[in-house]
Amino acid sequence: MAFPISRQKALREWKLYFLIVPSLLLVVTFSYFPAASAIYHSFFDWAGGETKQLIGLDNFKRAFGDQVLWGSFKTVSILIVFNLFKMIPSIIMAVLIHRVKSDRWQYLYRVMLVVPMIVPSLVTLFIWKFFFDPNMGVLNNILDFTGIKTLLVSLDQVFGWGLFFENAPIGWLSQPDLILPSLFIWGFPWIGAVGVLIYLAGLQSIGQEIYEAAELDGVGPFKKFIYIELPLILTQVRLSLVLLVIGTLQGYGLQLLLLGESGGAGGRGMVPGLWMYNKAFVAGEFGYACAVGMILFVFILLLTFLNNKYVRVDK
Amino acid sequence: MSTAPKDFVGSHKQKDWPKHLIICAFIIIELFPLYMMFQVSFKDNASFLRNPWAPTPPFSVVETRQAADGTETVKTRVADWSEAFSSAKPSDPSVKTAEKSFDLSVYKVKNWNFGLKLIGPYIANTVFVAVTGTFFTLTLAIFGAYFFARYKMPFSNVLWSAFLVLMLMPGVANIVPLFSLLKELSLLNTLWALVIVGVAGGQVFNIFVLRNFIEDLPKDLFEAAEMDGASHIDQIRNVVIPMSGSIIGTLSILCFLGQWNDFLLSLIILRDKELFTLGVGLIYLDGEYVKQWGQMMAAYFIASIPLIVIFLFCMRLFVRGLSAGAVKG
Repeated sequence: MAFPISRQKALREWKLYFLIVPSLLLVVTFSYFPAASAIYHSFFDWAGGETKQLIGLDNFKRAFGDQVLWGSFKTVSILIVFNLFKMIPSIIMAVLIHRVKSDRWQYLYRVMLVVPMIVPSLVTLFIWKFFFDPNMGVLNNILDFTGIKTLLVSLDQVFGWGLFFENAPIGWLSQPDLILPSLFIWGFPWIGAVGVLIYLAGLQSIGQEIYEAAELDGVGPFKKFIYIELPLILTQVRLSLVLLVIGTLQGYGLQLLLLGESGGAGGRGMVPGLWMYNKAFVAGEFGYACAVGMILFVFILLLTFLNNKYVRVDK
Repeated sequence: MSTAPKDFVGSHKQKDWPKHLIICAFIIIELFPLYMMFQVSFKDNASFLRNPWAPTPPFSVVETRQAADGTETVKTRVADWSEAFSSAKPSDPSVKTAEKSFDLSVYKVKNWNFGLKLIGPYIANTVFVAVTGTFFTLTLAIFGAYFFARYKMPFSNVLWSAFLVLMLMPGVANIVPLFSLLKELSLLNTLWALVIVGVAGGQVFNIFVLRNFIEDLPKDLFEAAEMDGASHIDQIRNVVIPMSGSIIGTLSILCFLGQWNDFLLSLIILRDKELFTLGVGLIYLDGEYVKQWGQMMAAYFIASIPLIVIFLFCMRLFVRGLSAGAVKG
């Protein structure tokens, strides 16, 4: 901890405050002030200009009746569930790399994991968009090539989805009912480099004795994972779980770029953040957008609170 | 990485190769987009359609087609891999002759020139934003962290909780008022707006991590420096920075990556084409009507080059620092 010091010494060291002033000034101006302003403006009919009209809780009343907004909350909850599944490959990957015996290979694999990070995230996104392209896209090509397409078409005929047809390419991002599946497939094989490295760091702190004891008891590799590795990286898993849930809840860049401002065909990819963006910068209803932001903020706060209470991350 | 013998991590009886196999499979799929980006960047749409998966063989085929009225048309196309080691086969029955010749010009280096011309200015803007942003973020964060870590000054607890509350606050709700604030400060459509907002946004996390780190530094060092009459700035320069090089490096990389990848703010505030950062530039490029995938992929690849350079220089920081830093923070 920092030294506690006497009042006289503190007075003598008054210059120290200059060190915190720039950070403080920036944070107040560009984080606190906008936040306060967002709360304030959520009670106004405001188009972003000088003129604004106090309308009390009307924005919130409107938001509670807003079908698109509630639909977007439903979509985002589905996305969160998807993302929970998408955590599994990273965990498996970390455990596998950890169990590799040679240090040199371990290092090599870590490097290989980090390599995709050099591609700007936006570029990754566009490459995926290219993969989803109905005619030239890689995904449809793979499905055609492996014959999975035929399987999908016959399944479609059995279940009557009306999504896959013999002679037409699959419109991943243009068919309303395929948008959520596309968002699920997105990012396959779902290995996040930072996530794997965090889990690896957790795994590496497991003592040898535990493994030795397990070995003497004749514990198999799968049981080792369930009883030793998983419980001991639970801190890291919970940490990334929390980050992931909050990130998914407030993120909208992916949907904006992949599907456009209106959330794609039928608005199936609409998430709350995107709706807020849409209201502010497309429809020009800044006041209402602030109210939507506030509702989103309350949800995130609630989740953060629940997290602090029940899923405490041990430091 | 632990130096202890790892014989027990994987069981004695268990073979290592299945693990390698699974890991390699994962990594190959993971690297597949990179591979596609690279090899498509040398193709035009025609040769991409002909052969989307593998790089083009370095041969071109000249096909002569004779119509019913006796006129001849000559067409050049790239060779298939099946033709690379044997003689060329006509692409359809109406083609009379097909001749194969060794030809390096099937690789469209032009795509790269095009991409560079298109993306180059955006890269320059992004480098400016990311470098200045990272520099100021870290400088101010070191000052701030030093303030919190060195002494328990009056009010420092209050300030600290004020900082921590900010960590709970989601950025998403702020973007609308932030936009009008920047408008009032007449910072809209400037690169400095991106830098300033980035620096402000980076303060909390970086101060949080650095404070813990500076508090763990041996107190004697600071005392010795103070005896020698070093000012606080001297102490930061001669004690803090040399002692916490690795964590500062890791934070810089994270900060740089964050700034490099950020596009939502720039999408909202940048209007002039000359000021576009990579993000906005790529988004507008994606919106173009006619798509030459080769040119696009070349542009994407060029957009990754600065990060490739950084990666080559600080691979260790990337690979080891990221995990250590992430857990500490």
